[in-house]
Amino acid sequence: MKEIALKLFGIDKSYSGVKVLHGIDIEITKGEVHGLVGENGAGKSTLMNIIGGVIAKDSGYMQVFGANYEPNTPASAIDAGIAFVHQELNLFSNLTVAENMFIEAYPVGFGGAIKYKQIKQIAQKCIDEYELPVTPDIKIEELSTGVKQMIEISKALMKSPRIMIFDEPTTSLSSREKDKLLATINDLKERGITIIYISHILDDVFRLCDRISVLRDGHIIETSNTGEVTKSQVVSYMVGREMNQEYPRIDKEISEEILLEARGIRFENKVRDVSLSLHKGEIAGLYGLMGSGRTELVKTLFGVEKMDQGEVFINGRKLEKITPKTCIQNRMAFVTEDRHHEGLLLPKSVAENLIIVTLPKVTQKLGIVNRLKEKSIVEEIIKNLRIKVNNPQKQNVINLSGGNQQKVVLGKWVINKPNIFILDEPTRGVDVGAKYEIYTIIAEMAKNGAAIFIISSEMEELIGICDRILVMRDGQLSGSVAKGEYKQETIGALAL
Amino acid sequence: MKYNLNSKILSFFTSTPIMPILVVGFVAACLFVPNFASVYNQKILLLQASDLLIISCGVTFVVLNGGIDFSATSVLTLGSVVGAYIMALSPLASNPIISIPVAIAAILVIGLLVGAINGFAITVLKMPSFIATLATQLAVSGVAVLFNSSVTEKSSISGLPESFFIFGGSGKYYLVPIAIALLVWGFSYWLLKYTKFGRDIYAIGVNPRTAHISGINVKKTIFVLLVMSGLFAGIASILATARNQVGLPSLGDKMFISIMAAIIVGGTSTAGGFGGFKQTLLGVLFVTVITNIMNLLGVEWFIIMIIQGTLILLSTMFGTMFSSIWSLKAGEESK
Repeated sequence: MKEIALKLFGIDKSYSGVKVLHGIDIEITKGEVHGLVGENGAGKSTLMNIIGGVIAKDSGYMQVFGANYEPNTPASAIDAGIAFVHQELNLFSNLTVAENMFIEAYPVGFGGAIKYKQIKQIAQKCIDEYELPVTPDIKIEELSTGVKQMIEISKALMKSPRIMIFDEPTTSLSSREKDKLLATINDLKERGITIIYISHILDDVFRLCDRISVLRDGHIIETSNTGEVTKSQVVSYMVGREMNQEYPRIDKEISEEILLEARGIRFENKVRDVSLSLHKGEIAGLYGLMGSGRTELVKTLFGVEKMDQGEVFINGRKLEKITPKTCIQNRMAFVTEDRHHEGLLLPKSVAENLIIVTLPKVTQKLGIVNRLKEKSIVEEIIKNLRIKVNNPQKQNVINLSGGNQQKVVLGKWVINKPNIFILDEPTRGVDVGAKYEIYTIIAEMAKNGAAIFIISSEMEELIGICDRILVMRDGQLSGSVAKGEYKQETIGALAL
Repeated sequence: MKYNLNSKILSFFTSTPIMPILVVGFVAACLFVPNFASVYNQKILLLQASDLLIISCGVTFVVLNGGIDFSATSVLTLGSVVGAYIMALSPLASNPIISIPVAIAAILVIGLLVGAINGFAITVLKMPSFIATLATQLAVSGVAVLFNSSVTEKSSISGLPESFFIFGGSGKYYLVPIAIALLVWGFSYWLLKYTKFGRDIYAIGVNPRTAHISGINVKKTIFVLLVMSGLFAGIASILATARNQVGLPSLGDKMFISIMAAIIVGGTSTAGGFGGFKQTLLGVLFVTVITNIMNLLGVEWFIIMIIQGTLILLSTMFGTMFSSIWSLKAGEESK
């Protein structure tokens, strides 16, 4: 009988009368990598927050290595040797890499002065270990999301925990960084650390985990040894239905007509002379590693960043002033990769978030907003995109699950019926079911004559939905692969 | 329908915690504070509330948008001395039919100008509103004192035409300033609640970056709001000058704390994005009643300042408590 590292028994949790966890029983064996999968809203985050001492359970009990475990605060979790690597980054963007690594317990000398020399040295060691492209003195805000996440992980490792919980750690990593991470996790396992690994990327879960538990609607549906289940079985446990095709197949026509053309775009040294065109009815993908300049490219196209050089033509007409406002007026839309800081008004209602882009269209004389029209538009999009919300006027976006938040971001642009739709990582941190729905929405829009430009770190996703994949490397377009010639090796080689 | 209206009125009075405090305080003052309930005092109270309400409305817009406008009170001061000079000392002074409209126009232009300078500093020079408006506040207040000392040797400018005092509610015209204040307040309330512009203000107050990417012209909105705040301060300056019947280079000196007290006690968040004009109206009444009671009881002005400061502290504390309850709810995100 192997030792049990973490035991949960009969964990219940309700929010304002709605039960979100139903008697969760789970036993995590010491030294295993235990995968926890489930759709957004299945209760994974709630469960993890209970383990982490962030929120209190209603009933049930927990044990860590046989000892009763009643966490009141996140500090209790740390004391019990449980460390988290969160889905949303918890780094201070105004502080340096070294400062962030030590923020919870600076080594101090005389008069409470921080021993900067020491923390820099240790930080440098971590950086070398994971071959991160940073120095200890660089500020977090200057780093890409991928590097930030690696630092978050290194930070958690510094507490030398007994149990480590990874919440979607790879969603924003490039494949090389991901390989490194998975290797690190295996290494931790060798050292006897118990790992709970939460992810939507089933490939990673199958590659990494010894056992997999599936959570659906607050119930543990199944716990099985990895060798004894197939991926499609796990998917069907997750969504409760068999999933034959992972990507929607929608017949559509790609026209010769060019909706958007960009010529010679330059932005700092991140985008260097990029030209591209998007056709009516086409779904074009953009693949590239972190730091390849892909996000910067689309940000300049939408006027979020001001390009240093270059021209943009919409329907053959040159766009003189490129700002988000003029882009929207020319029926462009842009889903940013950072929904919390750029996509949503988190503490505001779902309705307010959904209508924000379309507001000029429901505004009458004297700038008065037609509330009836607004309400009907909001209700329609909630129905169409199946956003889970009871009262869109009252419920704030911050209280929605990640997948539903992303649907709100998508919805606010879809309402406006864009002709050119740019999406940066539209399925990041989104569950399988919602992903499929998002793909369907995108494909339908292309079918109706929009040009879609979609950026993703998941090559498989691009292969699944795109008609053409552009690859970016080091600020330049390094190639373009047409549908039918897709090969992971080809695309990967262009990106490296 | 009738029930609906009643419940609407009811919810107006119960939705904010200061409403019951205001009512209880008012009744208590009527019973225990000598002269408080007199018609004369009630008139004074409403007149005082009028210019505070107007100037507070302007600042509320800026606060909702995530900024601050310290300079509103300096507009009040400079407007007062310049307007008074035009009406009492300038070559136009002999003809009130000309001098009064010119003075009013000049005061409003001062407000617009100061607002435009603030707007320029914030949107073009990218200064934080805190710094930009503090700087203009200092400079404009200084100009007001300088102006006063260069046109008169006295500490104020008197000899304003009688008919101008209508704007201060003199004699039977006491409803004039109250009506102007309600008009400004009603316009503000309408603008915020029913127009796209109002929605933009809230959106920018919560997250200017999201607002910008969503196609809102953030800079223009910020600029317009600062100009509006200046304009409203100008209107308040006309009322306050007419009520005092002199041009005072110290008119706005102690007013900023009352404005902030009114806005914060009312319940508008200084972080931007939450609050509104219902709150500011109640806050203004609250602050005016408290100040009025203190005056009647002969409390010194510095004690009043201490009380106003304490009020701001307490209501911010309660506000933070409410918002921490709110963020606890936000922890339920995961369901």
